[in-house]
Amino acid sequence: MILINCPYCGEREQSEFSNGGEAHVARPKNPEALSDKDWGQYVFYRSNPKGIFYERWVHTHGCRKWFNAVRDTSTDTFLKIYKLDDNRPDISEFKSTLKSPSGEPSVGSGNFAVKK
Amino acid sequence: MSAINNKNCKYISQVEIKITFDGKSYSAFDGDTVASALLRNNIRLIGRSFKYHRPRGIYTCGIEEPNALVQILNEHNEPNTRATIKRTYDGINISSQNRWPSLSFDIGSINNILSPIFSAGFYYKTFMGPKGFWKKIYEPLIRRTAGLGKPPKNFRSKSIHQNHNVDILIVGGGLSGLIAARKLIDTNNEVLIVEQDCFLGGILKNSNKVKSIDGKNVFEWVNETEKLILGSKNIKILKNTLVTTYNFTNHLIALEDKFVGKKIDTNKSELTLHKIRTTHTILANGHIERFISFRNNDLPGVMLASSFEKYIERYGVAPDENPVIFTNNSSTISLVKSLINLGCKPSAYIDSRNKNDIEDETKDYLSKNNIPFYPESEVEGCEGNKKVEKVYIRSSNKEISSIKASMLCPSGGFNPDIHLFTQSKGLVKWDDKIISFKPDTAFQNTITLGSVSGNYKFKDLCSEINKKLSFLKTNELNLEIETNIRDDFSIKELWETKTNKKSKWSKSFIDLHNDVTTKDLQQAINEGYDRIEHLKRYTTNSMGTDQGKISSINSLGIVSKILKKKISEVGTTTYRPPYAPLSFAAIAGRSTYEYYDPERKTPIHNWHIKNNAVFEDVGQWKRPWYFKKYKTETMHQAVQRESKQTRQSAGILDGSTLGKIEIKGKDALEFMNLMYTNAFTKMKPMTSRYALMLGEDGMIMDDGIICKINDKHFIATTTSGGAPKVFAHMEEFLQTEWPHLQVYLNSITEQFTTFNISGPKAREIVSKVFSDIDFSNEKFPFMTFKTFNYKNTQARIMRASFTGELGYEIYISPQHALELWELIFKHGKDFDLVPYGTETMHLLRAEKGYVVIGQETDGTVTPIDINFNWMIGKKKKDFIGKRSLTRSDTAREDRKQLVGIVPLDKSQFIEEGQHIVECENLPSKIKMPIEYLGHISSSYHSPNLNHCISMAMIKSGNKLMGKKLFVSTPKGTKNIPVEIVSPVFIDPENKRLTS
Amino acid sequence: MTTLISTDRVHITQRNFQQILIRGDGKDRFNQIITKETSLQPPSKNLEIKTSDQYIFAKNSFDQWTLVYLVERDYKEIIKTISNLNSNDEILASDYSYGQVYFEVSGENKDEFLNKLTQFDLRNKKFPDLSMAQTLIARIDCYIYKLNNKYIITCNKSYEDYFKERLTDLINL
Repeated sequence: MILINCPYCGEREQSEFSNGGEAHVARPKNPEALSDKDWGQYVFYRSNPKGIFYERWVHTHGCRKWFNAVRDTSTDTFLKIYKLDDNRPDISEFKSTLKSPSGEPSVGSGNFAVKK
Repeated sequence: MSAINNKNCKYISQVEIKITFDGKSYSAFDGDTVASALLRNNIRLIGRSFKYHRPRGIYTCGIEEPNALVQILNEHNEPNTRATIKRTYDGINISSQNRWPSLSFDIGSINNILSPIFSAGFYYKTFMGPKGFWKKIYEPLIRRTAGLGKPPKNFRSKSIHQNHNVDILIVGGGLSGLIAARKLIDTNNEVLIVEQDCFLGGILKNSNKVKSIDGKNVFEWVNETEKLILGSKNIKILKNTLVTTYNFTNHLIALEDKFVGKKIDTNKSELTLHKIRTTHTILANGHIERFISFRNNDLPGVMLASSFEKYIERYGVAPDENPVIFTNNSSTISLVKSLINLGCKPSAYIDSRNKNDIEDETKDYLSKNNIPFYPESEVEGCEGNKKVEKVYIRSSNKEISSIKASMLCPSGGFNPDIHLFTQSKGLVKWDDKIISFKPDTAFQNTITLGSVSGNYKFKDLCSEINKKLSFLKTNELNLEIETNIRDDFSIKELWETKTNKKSKWSKSFIDLHNDVTTKDLQQAINEGYDRIEHLKRYTTNSMGTDQGKISSINSLGIVSKILKKKISEVGTTTYRPPYAPLSFAAIAGRSTYEYYDPERKTPIHNWHIKNNAVFEDVGQWKRPWYFKKYKTETMHQAVQRESKQTRQSAGILDGSTLGKIEIKGKDALEFMNLMYTNAFTKMKPMTSRYALMLGEDGMIMDDGIICKINDKHFIATTTSGGAPKVFAHMEEFLQTEWPHLQVYLNSITEQFTTFNISGPKAREIVSKVFSDIDFSNEKFPFMTFKTFNYKNTQARIMRASFTGELGYEIYISPQHALELWELIFKHGKDFDLVPYGTETMHLLRAEKGYVVIGQETDGTVTPIDINFNWMIGKKKKDFIGKRSLTRSDTAREDRKQLVGIVPLDKSQFIEEGQHIVECENLPSKIKMPIEYLGHISSSYHSPNLNHCISMAMIKSGNKLMGKKLFVSTPKGTKNIPVEIVSPVFIDPENKRLTS
Repeated sequence: MTTLISTDRVHITQRNFQQILIRGDGKDRFNQIITKETSLQPPSKNLEIKTSDQYIFAKNSFDQWTLVYLVERDYKEIIKTISNLNSNDEILASDYSYGQVYFEVSGENKDEFLNKLTQFDLRNKKFPDLSMAQTLIARIDCYIYKLNNKYIITCNKSYEDYFKERLTDLINL
């Protein structure tokens, strides 16, 4: 059970939160101007990378506030948590743990136990 | 040879108790485990193995036990209990498992003769055919013979959860754990020590390896340490608690048995599941001895050397006076010393190491005590009838001799217990000095101390602990530790010994729990399974409830030799939680049965109970489903009665569960226009409107009634189940998309109780109750609301109904709810007012063609699909879901649309969920799927029309008015002829509603 | 006030209080209006509680406050205060007086007892005195206020029976 550091309530158990999917996907200002395909892209498609991912969380069973986070999805570690009105951190801020072409981090994925 | 009592053992009381095993009564001491009690009574045969039904005995003295699984017949009739862990109490009734008719004569042992069939890959290769055999023959047979113990018939035990938040968790109250704890006494850290036994001390109490600490004997030192810890302000100890799981972010699960050594009181909580959140985890959980594979290494009488020593030191019983000892390392000499202290003597000491590597102390001690010594030798195998009778030794000159013996104690080395460390996603590394894996890179705040970190040198222990805990800035601790064994651990690699003897009965096992032999490993590799994860699953090696604790590293050693690879290249399989079997009852805790989900009740719940309501669950709410007027009234009768009476006179429903949200701010109007499909701009204040909320994909998410107080203040209602979802949805958009809108929301679901009263007499009733309000049609039109003062509380009445009758919704403060409800009934009695429940509500709205979110809609239905185009504000530039309504798929004309359905034969009944099709009969041979035109979403017998009415979603429904089609039935092949009609069955002009 | 549980280690009573839930932006004008209508200064630090024997005024997050009256007042006055607050567009005040249930928990073992129902870290170093939190207790959304060695826990009144049964069930085990 991961600990998540809500910017308003402090560190709380993962079960108090709900994941909100990819962050920084703004609702188009003029939906009528978009083609079906482009509108469908906004409604139905989100990224799903292995590695560093910008996503949203909401503290459902606490303050009910939304916030953003940068999480390494291969090790489930939170690299940074920031408020909605904070600047989006640049990816160069984060030392990626991905090593090989297949994208396995050197430690923390739980997929292997012996040090390579 | 028989067992000898060790009266010097301080951990067993001399109080005698009576136990029963397989129907016979025996004596034991209070403090004995089932295993030590049986050994005390010279019982060596304890069970039959999983596949081959070979006779098995007690192999170890701890949680790593692969053989000695028994069934405890008291209380819960619990199967697969480890005899080496389960403490006895007076009157305990134990039964062996997996044998019929008896332990000594088991018919299942015929499997042994058939053993070539049961080799590697057995489960994958057999039972493939012929067709039909699986269901009729194989599966029933496997079910009857599978498993070890018998499952209990009725099982209900109570367990609780206990959460902890600490700074430092120490796993293991042994030597390393206690040294760490001593350093932390009265520091600023909140510390928790978790120990699986009922005594602290670990290797100090379980063995004879440590002679003294700082000149004190080990028992004294442990007691003194425990006293210091208990007197501290910051350290707590949990005993009888086993850490089973190490999760991400330093969250650990431990299981505490509250009834160790006692009869279970089923009124109390039996198990506590401790959930521990910590900043630092110190793993001091020690090591586990591993065995050696040789011919018939599974015979009763073979027991690991450290376990034998633990029985002497911890449980006060030497299982045999003259065991044969077989070792490849320097620590086993302490077992010899324990035996000599008791006046016993090993029959032989076989050490596989080179003569020059064997320490002088060992050689001297053996010669001084006249113990037959076999250096550079190994055990080739052992034989006997259901027990060890002869041990075969291959000496340094490769010649094989045999000696008579009844017990054989192998020691293949020690593995740091890395289960929890790898569960924490840490990485291990192979260490050639100890010939095992040890922790290397931690992923979390994990520190390993002592033997679990691969440090087997007692004299290095304090400096290791001081160094690793230096970041905590505590005092250094230096202890003088004197040992009975050589401090510099020496070991020679030995995984198995080979044999030339060919016999169907003789086997060399690599996994005792699942009956996997070393030959199976070779066979699997021959068949191409040379990756360790495949190999594990193909052979089921280390897949038992012991997870191969004493053998899985051995299998890596053997595999590495076959594949000619280094062990670190072969790798290990992933260690999975829990570390040891974890009871489901403990995992559930109290969240079972009546506490499974929080229950929500309305303020007048007790009135419903008094008036014989039968309840249904709507989300977490308990809502009256229907009211039983008399004891034998069925649900059908009650619902027909309630529905008829509501349309004839008046009915009232407790609608408190529906969500209510207060929306206020400068931009409230703009916000409401964006969230719902309706146009609210021109809506007059103090009026109400039925509204739809869509998802961004254009599908209906929820519905409700919006009351506009003014352009800056609205109150929205939602469905009962949708309330939290709608509120969260609104907050999401306000916070993440439109923070520039000045709008605030509050949930006021619980701040008002709601009564829905409807029927031709509704007006007369409310006029009597609220005599100050003018309810005439002119002064109180349909879909308007008034606020008023009721006994100094805010109250509201809205004219609306979900039944299609003249109706009102009354919103009242919960403190006056019951009295008002009773007042309404007092006046309502003269008008035949009837209370009704959710089923009647569903029936009445169906008669009017009103949809229920979640019944007609399922997340794929748009407003246009249910003929609600008029609810979409056409002039609105944007609202959530608007763009999706014009997507090519959403704008299709042949989408499923809402229609009404009546059977041509008015006596027939149509079931919900049935399909609408074009054919009357199913063809006798169905070659193609029958085309599915739509489904019945709601169906009821209308008492007001006297026949079945249904609502359905059917392709191109709007174009099918009047068409004759068919609806399937659950049982027969003949479909019901029906006609497509408008879904509004009663009062299509809404005369009753707006009267 | 009814006593639910009274052992030498844990003491739990149930009471009723009047309450106002306030949404607003916490800026100067907001503070002025609140002070004018309630005669109380709203707390400015998140999760902070201002209290006396008459009231608890807590800041729940950057735009939400709860004002709990510990001593019963004339309900008409509370309604008037709410109505006056609501006359300002930028404030939403909702009456929470009769829809909540309140439990007072005290005693030497209150933390260990409550930690059977919640994972929330109650230690003083993480949950200091005169602060509040919103969290899950017995799987129910609750507000918990820490005042001078006792907790006041409140949740929706519909959960009352379930919550009480969970509390008494644990004491007996």
